[in-house]
Amino acid sequence: MKSRFIVTPSLCTGCRTCELACSFTHAQDGKIGRSRIYPLDGGFKDLYVPVVCLQCEDPACVKSCLVNAIHFNENTGAYEINPEICVGCMACVAACPFGCSLFDTQQNLVIKCDLCGGDPVCAHFCPSKALTYKPIAT
Amino acid sequence: MRIVKPKQLEQLAAGYRKTAGKHKKTVTVCCGTGCLAKGAQKIVDAFEECLNRRKVKDFDVEAVKKTGCHGFCEQGPLVVIEPQGIFYTKVKPKDIESIIEKSIENDEVIEKLLYTNPQDGRKIEKYSDIPFYSHQRRIALRNVGKIVPSDIREYIAVDGYKALAKVLTTMTPDQVIDEITKSELRGRGGGGFSAGKKWRTCRNVAADVRYVICNGDEGDPGAFMDCSIMEGDPHSVLEGMIICAFAVGAKQGYIYVRDEYPLAGIRLQKAIAASEEYGLLGDKILGTDFSFSIRLSRGAGAFVCGESSALMRSVAGEVGEPRAKYIHSVVKGLYDLPTVLNNVETFVNVPVIINSGADWFKKIGVAKNSGTKAFSLVGKVRNTGLIEVAMGTTMREIIYDIGGGIIDGRTFKGVQTGGPSGGCLPETQLDLPVDFDSLTKAGSMMGSGGMIIMDDKTCMVDVARYFLNFLVSESCGKCVPCREGLYQLHKLTEKICEGNGTEEDIEKMEKLSQQIVVGSLCGLGKSGPKPLLSTIKYYRDEYLAHIRDKKCPAGVCKNLIAYRVIPETCTGCMACVNACVYQAITGRKKEPQVINPDICQKCGACAAVCKYNAIEVS
Amino acid sequence: MVTMTINGKLARAKEGEMLLAVLRREKIDIPALCHHEAVEPYGGCRLCMVEITKKEWAGGKNMVTSCLYPVEDGLIIQTHTTDLIELRKTILDLYLARCPNTPAIQDLAAQYGVTQTSYEPVTDPDDCILCGLCTRICDRMGFGAISAVNRGHSREIAPPMKNAPPDCVGCLACALNCPTNHIKYSDRGFTREIWGRKFDLVRDAKTGQPTITKEFADYLSKHSDIPRDYFELKDESHRRETALSLGKIAIWNREVPQ
Repeated sequence: MKSRFIVTPSLCTGCRTCELACSFTHAQDGKIGRSRIYPLDGGFKDLYVPVVCLQCEDPACVKSCLVNAIHFNENTGAYEINPEICVGCMACVAACPFGCSLFDTQQNLVIKCDLCGGDPVCAHFCPSKALTYKPIAT
Repeated sequence: MRIVKPKQLEQLAAGYRKTAGKHKKTVTVCCGTGCLAKGAQKIVDAFEECLNRRKVKDFDVEAVKKTGCHGFCEQGPLVVIEPQGIFYTKVKPKDIESIIEKSIENDEVIEKLLYTNPQDGRKIEKYSDIPFYSHQRRIALRNVGKIVPSDIREYIAVDGYKALAKVLTTMTPDQVIDEITKSELRGRGGGGFSAGKKWRTCRNVAADVRYVICNGDEGDPGAFMDCSIMEGDPHSVLEGMIICAFAVGAKQGYIYVRDEYPLAGIRLQKAIAASEEYGLLGDKILGTDFSFSIRLSRGAGAFVCGESSALMRSVAGEVGEPRAKYIHSVVKGLYDLPTVLNNVETFVNVPVIINSGADWFKKIGVAKNSGTKAFSLVGKVRNTGLIEVAMGTTMREIIYDIGGGIIDGRTFKGVQTGGPSGGCLPETQLDLPVDFDSLTKAGSMMGSGGMIIMDDKTCMVDVARYFLNFLVSESCGKCVPCREGLYQLHKLTEKICEGNGTEEDIEKMEKLSQQIVVGSLCGLGKSGPKPLLSTIKYYRDEYLAHIRDKKCPAGVCKNLIAYRVIPETCTGCMACVNACVYQAITGRKKEPQVINPDICQKCGACAAVCKYNAIEVS
Repeated sequence: MVTMTINGKLARAKEGEMLLAVLRREKIDIPALCHHEAVEPYGGCRLCMVEITKKEWAGGKNMVTSCLYPVEDGLIIQTHTTDLIELRKTILDLYLARCPNTPAIQDLAAQYGVTQTSYEPVTDPDDCILCGLCTRICDRMGFGAISAVNRGHSREIAPPMKNAPPDCVGCLACALNCPTNHIKYSDRGFTREIWGRKFDLVRDAKTGQPTITKEFADYLSKHSDIPRDYFELKDESHRRETALSLGKIAIWNREVPQ
């Protein structure tokens, strides 16, 4: 991993710009796609938490996938679902304890955050820097 | 008793020959499946019963040998008195007493049991003089009909396993492959691919485990060459496989026997057990470091399992479906490991080539098509049976000299070679030499060796329809061109046979056939349209007659024929009325009968019983 | 790395790849009805056939299914010759005879100029094109609940003995990947019905929404060593719970004023 995606809930204002950016970036055939990041109520006043794939070290989604569609990308540090292999059974959707594997009804496939292939768009657009993509200090 | 030195094998062979020689005469009773069906077991029983009652000098039950198919199935049950070679045909149990009295105890010949040459009406004593046999060259069938198949001693006595001993003690695997390659032995299952090349490619694949498989599926309707070899000379199949295994480096082999050949399975199993006992199969063969085991694998009733990749899936316990062979099975075959698959007949040629040499083998046959080929000669020919001829023999020789010509005085119309994957050849092609390349060039193929002779009462459109029907039900159904294409071709031929065809249909069938040939996944589909294409090529007029004139010239297609009583010939005996289960015939006694065409189902029962030939088919 | 020529243009490929993957990468549109990357290539529909040759072949050509043919250095490939178009037309024509009322086939055939079949359509047609994807995917998932039965033209996809398949878990992978939407299923309330079997859907404890079937959840938990209670909530609820948990952590770490 060269960089790490960092989420700081204390900085999140709940503006949902990240959600918009994600949807537009993943547009298909002129229709906006489903967002893979959702800022949600943190349970306290004015506290919002952007919920997005934590790129777990021992991911439940990978373990649950019966066709080996999810693979780790060394360059970006993200686990990616290969849309050509995914059969849409939603095993990973049900297994992820954080709810970050999502079913896209447009493609009849499962999607998740893949860090936009190494340049996460949501981090670009987050006005409060609650989302950042920083190189790991070596 | 295990043989651990070639010298032992030689001594054993000599010993068995000596023991066999103690009988001045021996009797061979053909017990191939055909003769067994005609009552050959009763013949054997009659011999035993008779010999229990009377003592004959220098002759006992042991001298009565139950052998495999002798070949002349039309004339069975067959009994041969050796060493003279006296040939008795259509023998009945009641003839045994006099055979023993006249031909065993004395040196007389029973005239009425001898074969009558239909050309000149003369009786022929020895089978080697009978044209059916004299034109043949039996190499693959060398022991079939001569030895008792379930007795390994008989096989050893005729130099069985001598080639194996030679290979294991004096040759390297590469030398064996060189010899087989030099002989230009081509696969006898239909593909005609160089056996030596196949073995060489397999050997060159880096692998720890390799397999040798013998294809005994023989699915072509009307073919029984491999059946007779497996039943009549099982040890030669084993010997061929063991030599192959040594050459390519395999430790395990399988013989895939179609389940419809139970006797072949039993004989092979017995042979495997016997050769293991003698140390000729299994661990440390003939005392060397080479080990090779063979297991039987039973087919389950699918023609498509004769295709090599489908066969290998079947052996592995999966559903028999072929796969695209861009990666050949010699590289990735059974369990994705290098596998040599050859036909039964290919393997039995191997010991002969080793013993007599590749040069000797090449002298038989014609250029690039060396050796012989076994055929099952069936259909409208006088002498149906199992034959073997040198490659390059003409069709005319086979059909007329060996086959004895067309029966019932009818005329030759066509010969179907290669089963459902082959084509029909007409009279104009009769002087074609029978070999791989000539047959393929003419639009047919050698196939596994089925040869069906047809006369003028055979409808070629119906023949095409028959083969398409067979292929449609045997197709595995995986790929579209074969599954859907052959189905549609069949529907179109049905349409023509029913009298509803158009001339555009012929063009449609030709175009669709080309696409099926190009697009199909395996050989079944790729060669499936051949019977149709060859009949359209050579018998186009017959198709047009069905279409334009709505007539079936051969009188076969039910919708296009009518049964009619000839009033001038009919005696009014009413035998036909009794025979007709549809009650389509009416009339008074001693007056001409009338067939009602609306009820008549054209089954032909009336014509069969009419003694006066008063019923005609138009 | 190997270099090949596709329709006159150079293209590179990794050793071990099949031609079809390279063609797709080069954005060449070839139909391949029986193909799915999750399972082994099948070679059943024959639509992906291409013409190949090599300099050494001296003009000799071969037609192969690109889904199953491994890449080779120096291969020269043509994907849309007149012969290939003719072949695809015939195959689609034959497909239309089997499935004359199936929109997916009608659309694909129309692309090749075939609007109706020139052969005899089957009586009582359905939408199944026998591509085998459902059975192959079901096998790959580890269930093997359905398979192809009977041979030749009578071939059909069915559970064992045509009874409700005991090994099915109701994951819907078969139905979702059927090119013609032939496999029907229904989700009513908390019951799913497919292949003649009824399944209970897990009910989300928080929102009351249905998720996957109980059988599938049981299987996944056992097979992947994931705690069974993970499956009791829908992803929506999981996200909400995650936000609340991470919120609590932020408070506890004094990152936020309480």
